[in-house]
Amino acid sequence: MKAVKGKYYFGGIHPRGMKELSANAALDVLSVDEVAISTHQSAGKPAITVVKAGQSVKCGELIAQADGDISSNVFASISGTVKEIKDVDGEEHIFITSDKSDATKFLPPLTDPDADEIRQRIKDCGIVGLGGAGFPTAVKVSTDKPVDTLIVNGAECEPYLTCDYRLMIEKTEEIAKGARYIAKALGVKKIIIGIESNKPDAVRAFEAFEDIQPVILRKQYPAGGEKQIIYTTTGRRLGIKKLPADVGVIVQNVGTCFAVYEAIENGKPLIERALTVSGKAVKEPKNLWVKVGTPVRDIVEYCGGESLTPKKVVTGGPMTGNAVASYDVYTRKTTSGVLLLSEKEAAAEQPTPCINCGKCADVCPMHLMPMNTAFYSAAGDFESAEKYGNATSCIECGACEYVCPAKRPLIQAIRKTKAELKKKDNKPVEVHDVAGKTLEEIDGKPVEEAAPENLKPEKEENNG
Amino acid sequence: MDNTIVVSTPPHVKSRRTTRGIMIDVCIALLPSVIAGCVFFGWQALMIILMSVFACVATEFVYFFIQNKGFSKKCADAKAVCLRFVKQFDFTSVVTGLLLALILPTTDKWYEVFYEVLIGGIFSIAVVKMFFGGTGKNIVNPAAAGRAFMFISFSITTYTAAKISALDFTSGVFSDATNLSWLLNSTGNPETKATVLDLFLGTGIAGCIGETCKAAILAGYVYLAVRGVIKWWQPLLFIAVFGFTAVFMSGFTYVKSGGYIFDMELFLPHVLSGGVLFGAIFMFTDYTTSPKGIYGQIFYYVIGAVLVAVLRYFTKLEVTSFVILLMNLVVPLIDKYFIRKPFGYKKAKKEGK
Repeated sequence: MKAVKGKYYFGGIHPRGMKELSANAALDVLSVDEVAISTHQSAGKPAITVVKAGQSVKCGELIAQADGDISSNVFASISGTVKEIKDVDGEEHIFITSDKSDATKFLPPLTDPDADEIRQRIKDCGIVGLGGAGFPTAVKVSTDKPVDTLIVNGAECEPYLTCDYRLMIEKTEEIAKGARYIAKALGVKKIIIGIESNKPDAVRAFEAFEDIQPVILRKQYPAGGEKQIIYTTTGRRLGIKKLPADVGVIVQNVGTCFAVYEAIENGKPLIERALTVSGKAVKEPKNLWVKVGTPVRDIVEYCGGESLTPKKVVTGGPMTGNAVASYDVYTRKTTSGVLLLSEKEAAAEQPTPCINCGKCADVCPMHLMPMNTAFYSAAGDFESAEKYGNATSCIECGACEYVCPAKRPLIQAIRKTKAELKKKDNKPVEVHDVAGKTLEEIDGKPVEEAAPENLKPEKEENNG
Repeated sequence: MDNTIVVSTPPHVKSRRTTRGIMIDVCIALLPSVIAGCVFFGWQALMIILMSVFACVATEFVYFFIQNKGFSKKCADAKAVCLRFVKQFDFTSVVTGLLLALILPTTDKWYEVFYEVLIGGIFSIAVVKMFFGGTGKNIVNPAAAGRAFMFISFSITTYTAAKISALDFTSGVFSDATNLSWLLNSTGNPETKATVLDLFLGTGIAGCIGETCKAAILAGYVYLAVRGVIKWWQPLLFIAVFGFTAVFMSGFTYVKSGGYIFDMELFLPHVLSGGVLFGAIFMFTDYTTSPKGIYGQIFYYVIGAVLVAVLRYFTKLEVTSFVILLMNLVVPLIDKYFIRKPFGYKKAKKEGK
């Protein structure tokens, strides 16, 4: 279908794209000798380990079982032996040493599945949202609310990242098929794919399909934010603390669509993903197929090592990703990039006093006032921070901090405000996942309800 | 190698804009006005500008020096404090100094008034800015406050009394007659158009150093708007509201005496006389003392413009800087009542309806 232009929303920034570093590098396969797979691969609870040290596993074998609905199965991403199971940074990691064979244990492929079969297969294969939030796809496609549109998110608005772009031009057919399967599971007819205007090749590739409507989004970070892409492609405004299904849409990343295609047509669980290695400090920026649990050290070595001394090492995108302290961390299902930022790129300047310029409010895609949140949270008045800054509606896209001329740590202030408000409501402090999104923002429910009796302060007995 | 890696909250890339960069941009935008002032008023104007900037920067330095205990016995300490001052210096005091000088009139005997300028600069920085906490914490515009301070304190001296109070509003080509009656009498006169051009270029008009040449001010406006330092619509909104209110005010008076109501030919002379244009572009748009949200900003500019027009009409004085001070003081209240609603926000429906 002919591409149409997306709507404009008020706010957003235009960061330096830096996509030219890796945009022309075709997806390459990286093989590894050892992986360390975290059992906490989704936005919900960690999975329960079902293998023991010393056991031999095949590629695609279940090694950790999902614990409840909002959790995901974890699979061995290489065939070999389970070396050990230990805690790394507070999360259980399963270390597997490769036996150099390519023995696989996939599920049987499905031909012409019905909606229930698709949903079950998505759940069995442990597919989560690959855009960064890592919310289990099975829960999203099992909604009982009336849904009429599926939005495929191909915006990739984060600077540096190009893996979704490569996926869209190399695996166009597969993504379209995956999107059709998801649409079938949801029972919707209309499929929209939102692509940022800096990727005209990808738009042209998707114009070939009769049942998919490409929408060209303005280059306006965060064009791929869930609320923003729903508004720009369909004109529907998603309210505060509402789910996309409440306005009749479901948003899925292009990577997720490809994973669904693989799960159904090849029976392949989610064991690898496309990932961008970029930044000025890496010798050869690349796009790679990386097994879940690959050490960042191996990825950097494969890309020729460092060309400059990196100032920051980031897993994920530069706007929402996590800065890590060393190369001894492991990729996850949701890791969309490994960035080695040079001193010039990584803005590590000291903050100067706020000059009240209001630029943070001008660029906020959620129309909040981050300067007020920062001001009141610094004073410890978190209720005013919420009243004047609406911190709890923040999607933590980082646009405010990007644009701030005084380099104030606004996102940190907003996260602190959110955490303190949670504490005040006697709710457990939520865990931030890779994209900085919280589970509550994604599905509107708290992670776990704390038992009320545990929270009551112990009464002092003054009678005796 | 691992020791050099920085870990922080996202975002990991930031824009290259800094406070210092923005303030340097403002200085660049003020340069045309400085040059025009020097061309029209000679080197005396340059002396006043330099004195004012010197007073402001020196005051900030001395304040910083005392605050950071630079007066210790060790020489190395004092040197370290100086280095820290240079490192954190963000050009805000240069901007204040330039603004203060540009809204002052000039005089042939600059050496007779230099202490007034110095005291004005010291007051602007020390009392208005640093006492409240430095950059970004001042509650009123330092330059406007400094000028008001000078106007009140030195009203006996000829320099300030004759020129600050009356300004170009009643001086120069408007001598002997009030601006409004002059504007009205010369309507339709071929001289009017030439005078508008004079007002625009600042030729043959007495007045403040930076306020006379409107062409230079507009050049600064274009630079600031293109660089994204100020929002382009803010001064335009101010000027439009001001112009229409001023036209309305003069028309309103002449209805009583049997005259006509609105004469749009008065629009340009009103806008181009006095410090309105300069105030709208450089003083009202000051970040620290203007509202943060877009609705608050609209309110601020509209009310400010109406106040300038009305007060200027009734007092026959140049009131722009006083209105700036007045509006600055209202800003915290505006910020309190104009809170933006988040994207997708809906008012909670009342129960039982």
